[in-house]
Amino acid sequence: MSSSNSIHSSAMKFAVKAWSNGRARAGVLHLDCCPTPIDTPSLLLSTRKGLPLFISPDLLPSLPSPDSHLLHVSPLHFLEGLSMTTISKIGGLHQMLGLHEYGFAAVPRDSIQCLPEANSTNKVGASFETPCGRLLIKPAEYMEMISSLRPELWATLADEVPAWVSDKRNKTSVDRTIKWLDECIALSPTGGAVFGAIVGGSSLEERQRCAQEVARRNVSGHCSFVDMR
Amino acid sequence: MALRFEVLGRFNHARAAQLTLPHFVCQTPLFMPVGTQGTIKGLTTNQLEEIGCQIILGNTYHLALRPTSELIDELGGLHKFMNWPRALLTDSGGFQMVSLLHLADITEKGVTFQSPVDGKQMLLTPEESIQIQNRIGADIIMALDDVVKTTITGPRIEEAMYRTLRWMDRCIAAHKRPHEQNLFGIVQGGLDPVLRDICVRGLVDRNLPGYAIGGLAGGEDKDSFWRVVAQCTAALPEDKPRYVMGVGYPLDVVVCSALGADMYDCVYPTRTARFGTALVPEGVLKLKQRAMAEDTRPIDPTCACMVCKNYTRAYIHSLVAKDAMGSQLLSYHNLYYMMQLSRNLHSSMVQGRFPEFVCSFLQKMFPKGDVPEWVCNAMEVAGIDISLCCAPFPSTQD
Repeated sequence: MSSSNSIHSSAMKFAVKAWSNGRARAGVLHLDCCPTPIDTPSLLLSTRKGLPLFISPDLLPSLPSPDSHLLHVSPLHFLEGLSMTTISKIGGLHQMLGLHEYGFAAVPRDSIQCLPEANSTNKVGASFETPCGRLLIKPAEYMEMISSLRPELWATLADEVPAWVSDKRNKTSVDRTIKWLDECIALSPTGGAVFGAIVGGSSLEERQRCAQEVARRNVSGHCSFVDMR
Repeated sequence: MALRFEVLGRFNHARAAQLTLPHFVCQTPLFMPVGTQGTIKGLTTNQLEEIGCQIILGNTYHLALRPTSELIDELGGLHKFMNWPRALLTDSGGFQMVSLLHLADITEKGVTFQSPVDGKQMLLTPEESIQIQNRIGADIIMALDDVVKTTITGPRIEEAMYRTLRWMDRCIAAHKRPHEQNLFGIVQGGLDPVLRDICVRGLVDRNLPGYAIGGLAGGEDKDSFWRVVAQCTAALPEDKPRYVMGVGYPLDVVVCSALGADMYDCVYPTRTARFGTALVPEGVLKLKQRAMAEDTRPIDPTCACMVCKNYTRAYIHSLVAKDAMGSQLLSYHNLYYMMQLSRNLHSSMVQGRFPEFVCSFLQKMFPKGDVPEWVCNAMEVAGIDISLCCAPFPSTQD
């Protein structure tokens, strides 16, 4: 785990404000695009193609602010109907969605429709079950999406596996995730904060191994994938 | 009578007016979105206020089924129930009954039908319709009329017209809140000018707060449609509002306004939005088309709505037919478009430039000058010179 109390990147600043007696901490996140800082722990609003599912964009300001200024975006949503060229032409997420004072955190999967398909993932890319079929996403393709979308924060591509896989499969998922971490970092656009993905299933050892490897790279944060099934 | 109607500007038959209702002071001509079940699909009441919506229509039939007019009354009326501070209009329930229910039967008593809830035989009488509308509490309520499709011919039309007049008297007698709710009569008579004339005179004799022209917008040819509207507006009183029911294509709204109508309602703008179609000055834009996938222009560059200011056709294309937000954004734009059209009609008449507005509207919709004949004929009767936009090879001008 990162031992520093603050982290800087061109788009994001994070600092811990207070620690509990245990491991919990309250922090504050500053994003260039957001007028007010965001307190952490913070909830990301889920979106579909960048817009919240339950409220139209003009009514977003009626939600409590600033806690509702962080939106989760799945780049995979845009594979259905919008080319990356067109998104780049429009100017990325902020321009495309007309949401200039909101921060976007890109994570490949969402919790409902774009789910990792561990059996189909291989050494070349991560597989996802999506509304437009099963897709194999390679790190290079993923980074092309990130470069077009230009989110404030983004997670590196991970090989997510369910809790019941064999030890061998679990270990492989950590190896792949670390490999893809380096490939993603190598292709990272300027301006976004990189969150290293941490997998390892329910093996404490593998989780630690993965976390240590991620911590060695110069990332702005960590994105832990936990299987809730 | 619970309204005031004051004409502020004119051009021949066309007029811009101020319509003062119990809940809101409106400007006509105006378009009323349809909020079937106490809500406009895809928009909040805040958004409706923002885009300038003045009156919303509620369907008595749907509300009486769910959640029932008694419950709405108990909760303080429909305004409170749906949190809409401006004006409301309810229809009588008759049209839905006839159009939605295959086993509906019309007798002198009323409309008998099979309840979709439990299959029981039910009867909607003029008295019952007014009672339900009294409970719902809208600013304008509609008489139960005997509606007949204009595509039907024969003695049924005459029967329906006379029955409408008889039911009008029963509605008037049953109306318990004439100082808070305005009961409008509906002119029927099919496409027969003689029947229409009898009906108009009969309703005018009853000195109602306002009049609707019904039985149109059901598949009749456009030429018959405008002639009926023209005949009715010419015969209805000048100092009371005229409402053409079921009219919602922008072109139809402009023509009827030129002929002297004031109010319109239709599900078209919101329904077509749910199918991915946007209303634009040129006509319609079908966002589902593949060409839209790369089009980074707004839906309508001249539109000031939230959707056109923030979104490209490409993005909306990626949403339509797949994500609810697509329908919501398109509904928002389409209603804004109709509200803006209403505002433009009103202000152009008040400012003495209505013919110019009509020409400009037609030029954008028919840039090659191919204005439909029925529109040309209607505009001639309305006394509006559109020769510049009807030319086969129009010269380039604004």
